[in-house]
Amino acid sequence: MEEQKTLVEQAKEELEKRFSRTLAVAASNLCVHCGLCVDQCHYFVATRDPHISPVAKAEQVRRVVKAEHDWLRRIFPWWTGAKELTEEDLDKWVEAAFRNCSMCQRCVVNCPLGVDTPLVLATARGVLTAVGKAPEILVQLADAAIAREENLEFFKDFYLEQIKELEAELQKKVGDPEARIPVDVEGARFLYVPLSGAHTIMPAAEIFYHAGESWTLSMFEAANYGIFLNDPVRSKRITERIIREAERLKVQEIIITECGHAYAVSRWEAPKWFKDQPWNFRVRSILEVMDEYIQTGRIQVDPARNPFSVTYHDSCNLGRNSGLFDEPRRILAACVEDFREMTPNRERNYCCGGGGGLVAIPEWQDIRLEAGKPKADQIRATGAEAVVASCDNCRHQLGEINEHYGLNVRVMGMAELVANAIVPKNGKK
Amino acid sequence: MSETIKADLELNLQGLMCPLPVVKISQAIKNVPVGGIIEATATDPGVMADIPAWAKSTGNEMLKVEKEGKVIRFWVKRLK
Repeated sequence: MEEQKTLVEQAKEELEKRFSRTLAVAASNLCVHCGLCVDQCHYFVATRDPHISPVAKAEQVRRVVKAEHDWLRRIFPWWTGAKELTEEDLDKWVEAAFRNCSMCQRCVVNCPLGVDTPLVLATARGVLTAVGKAPEILVQLADAAIAREENLEFFKDFYLEQIKELEAELQKKVGDPEARIPVDVEGARFLYVPLSGAHTIMPAAEIFYHAGESWTLSMFEAANYGIFLNDPVRSKRITERIIREAERLKVQEIIITECGHAYAVSRWEAPKWFKDQPWNFRVRSILEVMDEYIQTGRIQVDPARNPFSVTYHDSCNLGRNSGLFDEPRRILAACVEDFREMTPNRERNYCCGGGGGLVAIPEWQDIRLEAGKPKADQIRATGAEAVVASCDNCRHQLGEINEHYGLNVRVMGMAELVANAIVPKNGKK
Repeated sequence: MSETIKADLELNLQGLMCPLPVVKISQAIKNVPVGGIIEATATDPGVMADIPAWAKSTGNEMLKVEKEGKVIRFWVKRLK
């Protein structure tokens, strides 16, 4: 009978499976411990605790990687800092990789050598998930998304009932009894993938209505908690639901709602995961679609309909990780009269503190709110009355730091702002 | 009807949006004994798919869902 492997053995096996040239070189050997990443991290800026600086967090994992893969450690173990993995280390990894890093990538942008600290910590997340040490709620949220697919018939009626109610609201709002929130329409141009809940469906439905768009919903939502676990099985499975729906409905594009991680997964990871199947559609964020509508005159907007000062928070996944910097700013230029940039912004923007799945982990609310202080300070310095974010996780976190730090701002989504600004062609609004 | 199910814990999730209703239920289920029931109210229609999916995947049971205008009332039983 095969002997039961210890937790450490399982973890080392998983680390070995995930070992790659990128991890060895770009994320490990290149780091010269210069410390330039330290004050780029919002956790460090907020806490001044060097133990949660990027280099300190990554070093916990790097030492173990070096113990296995750095030949120098056999001769000069003190030089490489190599260390054999222990069970205690795994508990420290939970803190370093899940609690004290939101995977925002700001340290990478500001590293002169481009050391990919989030890659190191994401690897740790994957190892911890494989050995059952990941935060339970992230696992539950990922598994719930999969359960939704496995029990589709059970959920379908609930979902359709919800959509019918939202459709009645839309008809009332736009003053047109023919306005629709289409579901499962084969041959539509767009498959729009929202999150659970009305707040990501209604503003988009209103915008699509005014643009005269051919669109449809399917049964599935965009959120993918598997990616926060760095669990390829769960995250691929969750994304595959959407890819299959796009193929089944023969759409030209998948449009991802205002959700940073869902966009990054669908836009950047999915084409690698499913490279052997034909991609007859492209993937865009609704940010890009709204920008296109405004630039091409497909919808008319009036900035006077948003008569308050607005600042914009660049979601890490949409901005730093996906390059969507100009689109939101063009939209804001068209839809508000008083736009105020926060500083720093674009690729040097601070994470709100809610990324990496942290908004879903109530046990760590204290550090999440503390790490949100640089963002709170940025918002306060603009003096804006509203802060717009195109990511639902960011909006949750911004809502909490708004209350915690007494910012007294309105937290909004971009689609909500655009829907407010629309000048209807039928003059009914 | 709601009076036919006796809840061990009542939870107000009104105003919370995805994923927070699931997060709160996941926390609260630990505060009822096995066989115990949570009665919760929410306003985000996403719970109508999310909570049954969460219950199914965690081995718990969604007993019933009712709608009273904008308020969704549901009962979840802890099975393990």
